[in-house]
Amino acid sequence: MELQTKLFGPIEVDTARVIEMRRPILGFERLRRYVLLIREEKTPFGWLQSVEEAAVAFVVVNPFVVKGDYEPVLSDEVQGILGIERAEDVALLSIVTIRSEPLEVSVNLRAPLVINVRNMTALQAVLEDETYPVRYVIKTIKERPAEIPQAVSLKISPTSSDNFA
Amino acid sequence: MLILTRKLGEAIAIGDDVKVHLLEIKGKQVRIGVEAPPRITVHREEIYRQIREQNQKSATPTGPAADLQEVWEKLKG
Repeated sequence: MELQTKLFGPIEVDTARVIEMRRPILGFERLRRYVLLIREEKTPFGWLQSVEEAAVAFVVVNPFVVKGDYEPVLSDEVQGILGIERAEDVALLSIVTIRSEPLEVSVNLRAPLVINVRNMTALQAVLEDETYPVRYVIKTIKERPAEIPQAVSLKISPTSSDNFA
Repeated sequence: MLILTRKLGEAIAIGDDVKVHLLEIKGKQVRIGVEAPPRITVHREEIYRQIREQNQKSATPTGPAADLQEVWEKLKG
């Protein structure tokens, strides 16, 4: 199917790669379907683009890239909602907030997006562990990039369209 | 707002499938148990609000904030 996006223009998307939110991203209750796009391949970042709303896209990162000792505990409830049976079916992404001038990049470690890659369902979990902040500011990333789960993402060309106005 | 007085160990039913139990009172702290079906999300109000606001701030960056290649250049250790 063809997907309209504000940032990347129209893109062709395999419907099998659509991720369905079983619980919405908080504040975006109307939006239930997203695709994970990889555009800047040499960076650890991906884009979670809304299927339903062209103007909505989030920058996401694998939280383990920014915090090596990250140990999120997923509740039985979360596992039940997504039908998670095996740990290897789980992919985690954190939403990144980028403010420019001056640059400040923060990652939400408290409410990661949990994806069951086997059935392409997801939710934004709220971890019980209060030590993980909603705004975890990162100054540098030392770990190697490119940790967006390949199984659920789509690559798009960096030259396809530029609407970063 | 509906205001009810409850004793320790008692509960409040909201609709058919939500129950709020009063588990423990210690000074100014109250422990509450919430029984609800999975489709109903239950969070502490302030964390819920904080996450929602952060999500809204992060959605669809524009200008230099959307240039991830450049952002990455500045973050690379």
